[in-house]
Amino acid sequence: MRGNRRDVLRGLGAGVALVAMPAVVRAQGADIIRIGALNPITGSGSPYGSGMQKTIFAAAEAVNAAGGAGGRKIEIVAEDGQTSPQAAVLAAKKLIEINKVSAILGTWSSGVSLAVAPLAENANVLLMHTSGAPALSTPKVNGKGLFFRFHANNERSGAAFAELCKRRKFTRPATMAFNNASGIGNVDGFRKTWEAGGGKVVESVVYEPNQPSYRSELQKVLAANPDVIVTGSYLADTTIILREWFQTGQAVAWAIPGWAVTPELIRAIGPTAAEGIMSVDAISNEDDPAFKAFDAAYQKAMSKPGQSNVYAAECWDMVNCLTLAIEAAGGSVDANTLKAKIREVANPDGQKVGSFAEGKAALKKGKINYEGASSALDFDATGDVKPTFGAWTVEGGKLVQKYKFQA
Amino acid sequence: MDAYLAAIVSVMLIYVLLALGLTLQYGLTGLINFGMVGFFAIGAYTSALLALHGVPVVLSVAAAAVVAGISAWPIGLASLRLRDDYFAIVTLGFAEIVRLTLTSEKWLTNGVQGLSRIPPIYEGTGTAAAFVIVAILLAVTVAAIFLIHRVAHSPFGRIIAAIRDNEEAVQAIGKDPARFKIQVLVVGSALAGIAGALYAHYVTYIVPEQFVALATFYVWMAVIMGGVGRVSGAVVGTAILMFFLEGSRFLGDFLPWISSVQMASIRIGVVGLALVLFTIYRPQGLMGDFTKR
Repeated sequence: MRGNRRDVLRGLGAGVALVAMPAVVRAQGADIIRIGALNPITGSGSPYGSGMQKTIFAAAEAVNAAGGAGGRKIEIVAEDGQTSPQAAVLAAKKLIEINKVSAILGTWSSGVSLAVAPLAENANVLLMHTSGAPALSTPKVNGKGLFFRFHANNERSGAAFAELCKRRKFTRPATMAFNNASGIGNVDGFRKTWEAGGGKVVESVVYEPNQPSYRSELQKVLAANPDVIVTGSYLADTTIILREWFQTGQAVAWAIPGWAVTPELIRAIGPTAAEGIMSVDAISNEDDPAFKAFDAAYQKAMSKPGQSNVYAAECWDMVNCLTLAIEAAGGSVDANTLKAKIREVANPDGQKVGSFAEGKAALKKGKINYEGASSALDFDATGDVKPTFGAWTVEGGKLVQKYKFQA
Repeated sequence: MDAYLAAIVSVMLIYVLLALGLTLQYGLTGLINFGMVGFFAIGAYTSALLALHGVPVVLSVAAAAVVAGISAWPIGLASLRLRDDYFAIVTLGFAEIVRLTLTSEKWLTNGVQGLSRIPPIYEGTGTAAAFVIVAILLAVTVAAIFLIHRVAHSPFGRIIAAIRDNEEAVQAIGKDPARFKIQVLVVGSALAGIAGALYAHYVTYIVPEQFVALATFYVWMAVIMGGVGRVSGAVVGTAILMFFLEGSRFLGDFLPWISSVQMASIRIGVVGLALVLFTIYRPQGLMGDFTKR
């Protein structure tokens, strides 16, 4: 490679021009509603992100096949949030400024959602996310009410763990949490509800990610002689912890978030070690038509069952809920109109519907209540969904559902 | 479009500040600092915490520079007498210690929940505000470029260049290389601290997981591609890096059959390929000395 500095600068100039070009090239008709999908394709959210994104595309396809929302076709613009607030801020600016999206769907980590939130608020763009941090639904952050949470917030899921421990009559719970907002949020939520009910937590340990062994943390928890250990953990670390626990031979019950207790986990540690492990998660409406439609779309896109990605089910609901709201608003994409319409189409009363096409038809007759793939999908005043929780127990190598409750 | 371009330029300018710090430390003095992100994080948290407690942003950014600079001083004392490679390991470890401390000291940093609602560099919304922010960042960057340029062409600059090229010779003429190295380390880290502070006020939300080693290596990539030891190299290298990282977003719009999952891998692959090609065909970097091969 030969050249001089002038050539280099010329090349850079051409590069900048290339970046600036798409805005001119891609001017499009007004009859398209553009929606941003900002999912964690890379980074720690990557096990879920691509499934979420493909689900959003599939759901939009179904909406367009049914004639679009309010007579307008939906176009999805996808970006990778990289599970990093800085990358997500740039991606969100691009979605808002260049693609002129009316809503941003599927931010996953709390950090990303908190970073994108001020941008969305300033631009009057709806933000639908699956993050757990309670801060996202406080008036300080969600002042204009434009943010909707499709996942259980940490306090609620912690409360669900407390409810399970109460039902099973445990008295000496201990906690182990992965050191991130979601792991700690889960056990903090548990502690809050548990202590409010007069109970005591005998030991709490926070551990760092990506360790080959968690033996010392485990020893510390087991030394307090708990009768149940509540975790805020993920699949990889849970596998190691349970393996090391089984080797100690000490009897204790486990209550673990549902996203960590998967068939892969049971296979990895063996059905004997897994026997009796309890898991709690927001429940997908598995008998509902919405879930069946989502499951079929997810199998087609990812060749995996829909149960394996609760966030994708939530993304499915985001698209349906948003487009039904647009339909109800007669094709308007004004955020302030839509935030009221979203509650109108998702909350009771009204005729229960499970898909966009069904809802669109029913809207002509009166009020509808969209029952989602991820939950019954009813929003409270702060924009949080009120999920139904399920508790499962591993029996003979299989997950068996035991309870259903609201927390 | 304008506000988005302004956003790219803003982030680029913050990275330019980091790259300038590294140019001073590595390019001009030969210090292999793998812990840039540690000083970046110290600056970000110092400024964010002060601003959240009501200190004006101008003062909190200045304080960030001071704290980041001072934090570099003991590291210099303890480790600069070590050989180059050991210094690299110490700084890499330092950055990890900073990150773990920020994660653990919840009373101060809110731990993994992060600090939100940090006051922005400039209050206001819309395109006009975005350009005011760019102007502020540009002013800081130009000042930093001027500073580094002056340092490089001063007697001090000649000594540090001599330390880089032949440390024994510098000792032989009766100078103490460690003292100069510590000064360079402190100044470069203060620059990283300013960059961190501006980053915190720009993004308005910080959490320890943003300050991982990858950020350090982005800066290294920029400096290597731009040209080690040249101020213009730091600027051009950062521009190239941002072009690769952000440009791929638009490639996705042009090539819709490539999914974002593939695009994410392509993006990292392209940056890697560029680095390999640079080391093979232009090890001196884009803005390096073109008379050499």
